Amino acid sequence: MTLTRKFDAPEAPLILGLDVGGTQTDAVLISSGDIVAFTKTPTLDDLTATLRGAVGKIMAEAPDGRIVRLAFSTTMATNAIVQDRLDPTGMIVSAGPGMDPEGFSVGPSYHVVPGCLDHRGFEAMPLDREALESAADRIREQGIRTVGLVSKFSTRNPRHELLMKDWVGGGFDHTALGHRVSGNLGFPRRIATTYLNAALHKTHEGFVLAVLRILEEQGIEAPRYLLKPDGGTVGLEQSLDFPAQTAQSGPAASVMGALALDPCSGTTLVLDVGGTTTDIAVIYEGAPLLEPLGVRLGPYLTLIRSLQTRSVGIGGDSEVRVDPAHGLRIGPMRVGPPMALGGPAPTPTDAMIVLGLLEAGDREAAQRAMEGIAGLLGTGFVEAARAVLDRTAYLVAESVRAFLYFINSRPVYTIREVLEDVTIEPTRMVLMGGPAAQLSAPLEQALGIPCSVPPHAEVANAVGAAVSRITSEVTLQADTGRGSVIIPEVGLQELIDSDFSMEQGLAMARRALQGALIEAGETQEEMQVTVTEQQCFSMIEGFSRTGRNIRLKMCVAPGLIPEWPSRRPFP
Amino acid sequence: MTSNSRRTGLVFFPAFDWAISPTHPEREERLLYTQDQVLEEGLLDLDNIVEYRVRPASMDDIRRVHFCVPDEESVTTESHLISAGGCLVAADAVRKGEVDNAFALVRPPGHHAMRVVHGNRGFCNINIEAIMVEYLRETYGVRRVAIVDTDCHHGDGTQDIYWHDPNTLFISLHQDGRTIYPGTGFPDELGGPNAMGATVNIPLPPKTGEEGFFVVMEELVMPLLEKFRPEMVINSAGQDNHFSDPITDMNFSARGYATLNARLQPDIAVLEGGYAVESALPYVNVGIIMAMAGLDTRCVKEPNYDRDYRPQSPSVTQNIDRLTARLRHVFLEGKYEAPTHTEGDVLERKREIYYDTDGIFEKQRELIRVCPHCAGALAIESAASTGNHIFAVRIPMEVCEACRRTALTWFDQASQNAFSHIFLQDRDRGRYERIEPKRK
Repeated sequence: MTLTRKFDAPEAPLILGLDVGGTQTDAVLISSGDIVAFTKTPTLDDLTATLRGAVGKIMAEAPDGRIVRLAFSTTMATNAIVQDRLDPTGMIVSAGPGMDPEGFSVGPSYHVVPGCLDHRGFEAMPLDREALESAADRIREQGIRTVGLVSKFSTRNPRHELLMKDWVGGGFDHTALGHRVSGNLGFPRRIATTYLNAALHKTHEGFVLAVLRILEEQGIEAPRYLLKPDGGTVGLEQSLDFPAQTAQSGPAASVMGALALDPCSGTTLVLDVGGTTTDIAVIYEGAPLLEPLGVRLGPYLTLIRSLQTRSVGIGGDSEVRVDPAHGLRIGPMRVGPPMALGGPAPTPTDAMIVLGLLEAGDREAAQRAMEGIAGLLGTGFVEAARAVLDRTAYLVAESVRAFLYFINSRPVYTIREVLEDVTIEPTRMVLMGGPAAQLSAPLEQALGIPCSVPPHAEVANAVGAAVSRITSEVTLQADTGRGSVIIPEVGLQELIDSDFSMEQGLAMARRALQGALIEAGETQEEMQVTVTEQQCFSMIEGFSRTGRNIRLKMCVAPGLIPEWPSRRPFP
Repeated sequence: MTSNSRRTGLVFFPAFDWAISPTHPEREERLLYTQDQVLEEGLLDLDNIVEYRVRPASMDDIRRVHFCVPDEESVTTESHLISAGGCLVAADAVRKGEVDNAFALVRPPGHHAMRVVHGNRGFCNINIEAIMVEYLRETYGVRRVAIVDTDCHHGDGTQDIYWHDPNTLFISLHQDGRTIYPGTGFPDELGGPNAMGATVNIPLPPKTGEEGFFVVMEELVMPLLEKFRPEMVINSAGQDNHFSDPITDMNFSARGYATLNARLQPDIAVLEGGYAVESALPYVNVGIIMAMAGLDTRCVKEPNYDRDYRPQSPSVTQNIDRLTARLRHVFLEGKYEAPTHTEGDVLERKREIYYDTDGIFEKQRELIRVCPHCAGALAIESAASTGNHIFAVRIPMEVCEACRRTALTWFDQASQNAFSHIFLQDRDRGRYERIEPKRK
């Protein structure tokens, strides 16, 4: 049988994927569904320099061909949040009954002004213009030029936020509005998300310009994307208004990498074993599970859609110790590289080297590491090494079980869901990351399910970024009693008749989703729509129907670009 | 988080796919706006509020409480089992120490469901609090329980179930039965011969406001609880005393409910009625959750409070003061007529019960053995317009030998009569029987 390789053609289209990790930055080049080159470069403190170095290195290895697409998973937004390098941003919010809004204070200049909308979006108290203007004055007096405006229930009616925008007056370079960040409810999260989008705006803009310069230097003109925590991408230039949605994309990159490199049939557990941590995720019938509300970014709970992942403080470089009371302990601290690589403390990697599972560093140093452990355990050093790997796998398995328990105890609100009682129970796992292959046997043992390590697992994150499609979500709420329909994410608000139907709602949401995808940089016409929520409630007053409340959620779920051939299970 | 914050379990089950009928107040979106408000407030993101997933209750859970005619399956739907099961989840969370207290925010409600169930009355089929209380006794060995029913309607079902139980203090605050369904709940209903004073009815005049509820709490409810010394306090947290409720005539508020709850500090609260689904429930429920979690409820205020809330009139205040003084005299100073029965007497009570929702009419004859040692042998003969005619015998927990003998004799004798079903509920030994004698 003869295999014909399409990328032999001189102008073969290439896709570039790049993932900035904590210590290493991976880059891959893909042609016709194959990984044709990959590089690893150290991650530097300067993100732009890291990107320039990584792009330069992979382009030097590129076969003849034209880059037709590139996608990055970067740490710009995450680092800015974690290191508190946020632009000074003023926040003005209006609340109404419930939790004290002062408790949601964020940023250097936070102001609560009177005004209130109820849960259906009716105005319960007009917005206090005088209070708003004086809050804006105070923000300006502090020399702050970025502002975020949020009202409670603005996803039901954006009127107060739009009034705020009109009334804050001039002098602000950038204004972020709460109802545009998500259609989900959650006032404290809306405040935090709006704040982050506003406070990252300037820094992110600088980053986008820097990336554009690097691409220009390399002569790359192809469409370029950033990865988001939901495993979808957004166009680089289109990410400016909502920069916070590009934070914390690393875990999503590995899940999307698993989806790209493995058939992921049935229910698949994804484990990405790194130096310090292991990330856990679940792919259910080809669809990665999503967080119910949104991702946590540093100290902030947000409304940014995200894949559901858990990070456990156990990796190849975790510190191994023997505790008199509890025996063998692995992690959660990393005190340095493995002893085989000159580090100060024994690690699981040292155990792998001792057992001959890994060729790296100084074998004798690794043995010394395990001898230290063996002395405390009262065993030989080979047994100690085996015990370390078994314990590592056991601890990861415990975290996996806790994660699955958490997923399966998620509350449900309908009788149908209680009776269906779908339980997420993985039947196989995909292992990725540096020490993946070495841990597969102990993990199979600890979890009782077969394990596979796909080819190129060591650069799975970069592959995941490279081949993930654009995602978007819209939320429609039609209230015929109030006579309005709203899709907050796209700023749509229209008057409707009392006979507005579910069919009309579905068509309207579909159009809005199409628009949102184009806004996010989508160029393909066809879209794979998933309806994730579809409810219609009658509104009754005194035993007769006065209206209808239609609630729809529609999205393009995380998935792979059509150019990427899905991996079929081996026969 | 403030220093007085508590860990609160929340069992939320809005049953978005169940209604009694399309325009009935007990319908799909009853808790829709409550869910909206709870989510928008971000309450589920708080470290000290833990949300739990519901599970359905089992038929065994129901058999500890009810005599279901003809059987459990016929008078319940999945929604009732899940609503009751939600209360059991709350009970587990509290008793296992995972949380300090819990709120079962579930529907459909249960406090109008009596011991014998022929169908639905007052929107209720099975009594979700009683099922929870008996589960607590069965599973965790809890003995003394107080149920404080703050629904606007008299909790006649719960009263019926615990009428003879000296280990359950049932206190119901409600709108005066002369002005509202179910028309009962007067101070002279104070419990059966073996449990006199363990049922306390506090009928409040229409338009009772925050002030009146607080007076009753301070002057009656709290001292009664102190005197009874329960191991657990349950709040039947109906929310229809609210000034916007469409089917009642009271004048309570969200902050009022929050304050009441903060004072009562129930171990478990269970949602009962409350049908102002848009204007009251979202705020009352948020208020109760926040109060249970020990959060500051000063900002919990309905948007229409300033416009629509009126402090209660002086005449209402006067009425409540008089009622409170009278009830203190009876219940706290023990000045009710001492029963003249002697041990071993069997007392008979005849009643007629109407099932408003299902249009069923029931005639009951009840026998109770007077006993100072236990809750007493109990038998109920019940004939319903459905054609079912049953005889049911109940043996209480910690039964005395004499009452056990009496109960078993009643049960044996029943088989010689033409009943459609004969039931035995032996709580002491956990034996539950249902016999369908051959038709003639």
